[in-house]
Amino acid sequence: MAELDLIDVEKHFGTNWVIRKLNLRINHGEFVVLLGPSGCGKTTTLRAIAGLEEIDTGEIRIDGKPVESLPASERDIAFVFQLYSLYPHMTAFENIAFPLRAFRMSDKEVREKVKSVAKVLRIEHLLNKRPSALAGGDMQRVTIGRALVRRPKALLMDEPIGALDAKLREEMRVELRRLHIENNSTTIYVTHDQVEAMSMADRIAIMNEGVLQQVGSPMEVYSWPANLFVAQFVGSPIMNVVNCRVEASDSTTKVRLDGMESPFQFGGEVYRRVAAAGHDDIALGVRPEAVLVERAEQPGYLPGEVHLIEPLGAYDILDIGVGKTVIRARTESRFVTRLHEPVWVQLDKERTHFFDKKSGLALPSER
Amino acid sequence: MANLTLKNLSKSYGDVAAVRNLSLDIHDREFFVLLGPTGAGKTTTLRCIAGLERPESGEVWIGDDLVNDWSAANRDVALVFQQYSLYPNYTVRKNLEFPLRSKLRQLPAKEIGPRVQKAAETLRISHLLDRRTDRLSGGEMQRVAIGRAIVREPRLFLMDEPLSNVDAKLRELLRSELRQLQLKLGATLVFVTHDQVEAMTMGDRIGVLCEGELVQVGTPYEVYNFPGNTFVASFVGTPAINLFDAAMDGNKLIVVPKKFEIALQPAIGARLKEVIGPRDTVRVGVRPEHVKLIAGGDIAGRLYGAEDHGVEMILTIQVADHLIRATSAATTRVPVNAPVQVAFAQDKLHFFDLETTKNLAQA
Repeated sequence: MAELDLIDVEKHFGTNWVIRKLNLRINHGEFVVLLGPSGCGKTTTLRAIAGLEEIDTGEIRIDGKPVESLPASERDIAFVFQLYSLYPHMTAFENIAFPLRAFRMSDKEVREKVKSVAKVLRIEHLLNKRPSALAGGDMQRVTIGRALVRRPKALLMDEPIGALDAKLREEMRVELRRLHIENNSTTIYVTHDQVEAMSMADRIAIMNEGVLQQVGSPMEVYSWPANLFVAQFVGSPIMNVVNCRVEASDSTTKVRLDGMESPFQFGGEVYRRVAAAGHDDIALGVRPEAVLVERAEQPGYLPGEVHLIEPLGAYDILDIGVGKTVIRARTESRFVTRLHEPVWVQLDKERTHFFDKKSGLALPSER
Repeated sequence: MANLTLKNLSKSYGDVAAVRNLSLDIHDREFFVLLGPTGAGKTTTLRCIAGLERPESGEVWIGDDLVNDWSAANRDVALVFQQYSLYPNYTVRKNLEFPLRSKLRQLPAKEIGPRVQKAAETLRISHLLDRRTDRLSGGEMQRVAIGRAIVREPRLFLMDEPLSNVDAKLRELLRSELRQLQLKLGATLVFVTHDQVEAMTMGDRIGVLCEGELVQVGTPYEVYNFPGNTFVASFVGTPAINLFDAAMDGNKLIVVPKKFEIALQPAIGARLKEVIGPRDTVRVGVRPEHVKLIAGGDIAGRLYGAEDHGVEMILTIQVADHLIRATSAATTRVPVNAPVQVAFAQDKLHFFDLETTKNLAQA
């Protein structure tokens, strides 16, 4: 277990910034996911923590102590990569035991430690096999076993399940999360896959172009994205982000999408929030599940037309034309079965977001 | 546009059968998806249709023509690959003109301009016509590649994983764009993918391939709700369907090897008795959305894992030695390891034969 601090960390290659002013604290026993598209700086950050990459400015502390002068081997951190990097001529047992051999441990002790890790990872029956005889998921379990066996202060993982097929990834997500709960090791996990981040993290740190965008629990980043980038990077299908015009009228706010005759009605606080931004270059963001759809006219609902039906089995996604805007909505399976059918649409006020298009930031709420 | 018929198509490479005795009717103006994992034979099938590969036996019909002996160029089909294979030094316009300048086509020069213009407008790339293709983003390159197929006005479009090189967000956008385009053009389109989400969201019908065999053809709704065998059941849908083996005992299902019991509603029990016949054991399938976390549910377990996906929670519940996946409302909060009770929506249970893996309801 360890506590990690990144303080004003910066790194550049030539004139390209890879990490800019990164400040992040990772608590004892926490599972933090660094999430972002390729080139966002997440892997460089992870490698800097491991000591595989030098930083230009700032400080990295493990348990309060700066680690700048410590080489990777003395940071007591284990690293798991996407590629399994197992020794092909050794059995799974020997692979896992390998890091312990440096410590002059008795055979009995080694055996016990390997067995206990193997039990957690559910690979006890595979210990006598060589890597070439193992399936992808099992190889990755062995790799993780090797990382965990010496009980490192922190476990760093870089896209460890990215190379596995979809179904195995689904299983491994649950297993990795369980493993974390049982071992309680401080874990930093890098991925570009928002589903992995959402499903495993205590907190997600989202990066883009070297800049930390938001840090929060999966629920926080999903429900209250700090900016447009986070709003559209987290969640699938992606959040609708559309242009809107906002007018005050008495104690309510009228919100009009492009080409729409009638507005959606919001409370008066929406207009006050927009007024505080100082301009009206505003975008409305709403997730497909917060777009309410009816097949008959309802008060407060506006007319639209179904352009496309995307069935996903458990539910459908509809592309609905509202004015000149297309909004995607999530409905139960077979809610609408014919293209061009008229529908009526409303937005869930509690789950509608407004963004300043110039800065990209979510408009602050009035709390 | 044209319909397409494959009759008893077979193709092998050495000892490995890539496609086995595949028969398929694809309708005029249909968006047809060939879905399967790597090595299922979907690309080989597509290449046989295109004329890039010669089947050992079987027939390929495009419209009313048996095209087995026709060259790829004569078949009048347009192919779009995962790699866009654009000419990097040429402008978008030149790339779009290229297929029209082919000697085979003998198109009058004055028709080329308008055709390119029209395709560019359809794909909303008119503003890019004079840009070199190596200066384009991934999404733009993909549009140009599709544009090069459209200008030819072929009888058939064939696409092989055209969206798998773009990032998740763009892929979502291109999916609905491509589907809208196909509807607008009234095109017959055969689309190969390993991604079940692409298949479900775009296809009029899906043909699921496994080890060279066509195991099911149906609409997305049919394939999801009435899977023909356990392969289709677990390949389509995310999170994946729960599968476990169970024996029938009176009106109860006894799940093996480590036992738990499901008391069946009389109607379900009667239906199962009918389909189960003389078998002792069947494989039961239940989708995560049909597993309900409910106080007093007849299946007791403990919460093994909980994933917050924002829109909903995916729960993993340990019952005896089995891990069962359930989806539930985003607001669900249960501590890991806490005891929980679940019930299955019994009218949504699937039953499969253990040996043939076939869905018993359809046998």
